Amino acid sequence: MTKVELETGGSVWKMLVQPGDHVAQGDTLFILEVMKMEVPYPAPVAGEVIATHIAEGDAVEEDQLAIEISP
Amino acid sequence: MTWKLETDEIERRRELALSQGGEEAIAKQHSQNRLTIRERIEKLIDPGSLEEVGPAAGTPHYDENGVLTGMDPANFVLGFGKVNGRRIVVGGEDFTLRGGSPSAAGLRKSVYAEELAVQYRLPLVRLHEGSGGSVGGTGGKGPSLPGPVNAPARFRSVAQAMATVPVASAALGAVAGLPAGRLVASHFSVMSKSTAQILTAGPAVVARAMGEQKSKDELGGWKVHTKNGTVDNGAEDEGACIAEIRRFLSYMPDNIYQLAPVIDCDDPVDRCDEHLLEIVPRNRRQAFEMRSVIASVVDRDSFFEMGRGYGRSQITGLARLNGQTVGVWANDGKFLAGSMTADGAHKARRFMELCETFSFPIVSLVDEPGFMIGSQAEREATIRHGASAVLTAALTTVPWISVMIRRSFGVAQAAHYGPDGYVIAWPSAESGPLPVEGGVAVAFRREIEAAPDPDARRRELEEQLAAKQSPFPRAEALGVHDLIDPRQTRPELCRWLDRVQPLLPSLLGPTAFSIRP
Repeated sequence: MTKVELETGGSVWKMLVQPGDHVAQGDTLFILEVMKMEVPYPAPVAGEVIATHIAEGDAVEEDQLAIEISP
Repeated sequence: MTWKLETDEIERRRELALSQGGEEAIAKQHSQNRLTIRERIEKLIDPGSLEEVGPAAGTPHYDENGVLTGMDPANFVLGFGKVNGRRIVVGGEDFTLRGGSPSAAGLRKSVYAEELAVQYRLPLVRLHEGSGGSVGGTGGKGPSLPGPVNAPARFRSVAQAMATVPVASAALGAVAGLPAGRLVASHFSVMSKSTAQILTAGPAVVARAMGEQKSKDELGGWKVHTKNGTVDNGAEDEGACIAEIRRFLSYMPDNIYQLAPVIDCDDPVDRCDEHLLEIVPRNRRQAFEMRSVIASVVDRDSFFEMGRGYGRSQITGLARLNGQTVGVWANDGKFLAGSMTADGAHKARRFMELCETFSFPIVSLVDEPGFMIGSQAEREATIRHGASAVLTAALTTVPWISVMIRRSFGVAQAAHYGPDGYVIAWPSAESGPLPVEGGVAVAFRREIEAAPDPDARRRELEEQLAAKQSPFPRAEALGVHDLIDPRQTRPELCRWLDRVQPLLPSLLGPTAFSIRP
């Protein structure tokens, strides 16, 4: 299981995947808006999205768990 | 009658000194994948270059007839050595003796390290693994006498070393107390991710005083200390730490009275990387890879980043232009939009102090949206730390070149320009009191609210004002020295560095301010 955690706070601008999606390494999973800038989060590994813990519009914090990818 | 008896004993004592804490203690150190201090020093310096200071210091043992039976060497190894042919002072605690907690002779040698480096004007490298004082005292036989009132201030030489010679240090095992304080009193520090922890106090003391049950790694492992700026860098293991120190030293002069060595450069000074033309997205909400810009403008593979894990909106490090050391400072728009945070400001201030101390010209690649805002930023006293960076820049005397790459806003941007600095701008440069997206909503609040379509009016105003922030009017008013094609950045930087050469010798020697941890 690979956990994607947030490097900074901000708000969730766009979710681009949902549970069940298969992603390749480097695919953009979601985009945060931080200080008016878009911050895309690429998939660190290829696999299946098992869970998403954030949703569009959420105000989020540093170190928060965003997505889990299997394997 | 000769002195053979005594010279034999000198030889014997030398051998005893090399035995460190004994075979068992050395085997234990190795079983935990850690080197001994003598092996560490060998890895750092050129083969055979160690000139040891005080190898005979230690505690001898005699039998009832007064014959020497053994000796506990001082648990700090100190000496001169060479790195790439250049002499340094090197020292470190011997963890195989008393767990690196200073013995009486060990403490004397350890505090002598800074004094030697200052006296001989040589770079100092400390390889740390050890703890501080013990309530049992340095001799292990009860508390020792306190120093007299007229003893020199213990940490004066530590501060003097930082103002005079390059100081690099590594945490290679558990480092606590006094060694931890000296570890961070350096211009460059690195910790081994696999073997080191840095602790103001260890788990037992913490549990007693705070009731907090934490392991050494939880308290002071690399995940904690590369993120909070306690050390500049983390490296995988001891060997990688030592390689980083050797690399750091390659950029440095021996002391503040010399300029850094210039090396041969086979990277053309007129190299123009094509991708710079399109690296800054026209969409102002999209960030770009600043490290890729740095790689394109400095000598190939010459960027040595320091402090990547903390204050991450600011990128700082050393690099070379045509073989000559420069300090490089840039914003990382991918992290908190590149804004000046409290920790980013602290990192930037230390970086500028390093450059000022060693007379390094500063290359500043500017994409600064302003101070970080919000409740967390207020809690962190961002404005105070930020103003400290701004005023540090204002007091520097080294030459600066600032390249306005994208945003340059607010009070924070002032930190990115040195006094009398040379300023060039890319076409993507924008500047002003604050970025239009935030500013318009405040300054034109009534007008926007009164409009039939407030959102449309806001966007319209933003676009109008953004156009005014273009670098062309600024250039017309001699607000920059020149507008340039981004691909021409490296040639521009190299020409500027050539122009400032006559200024550099007069900057040598003590500076009005140096660097503190």
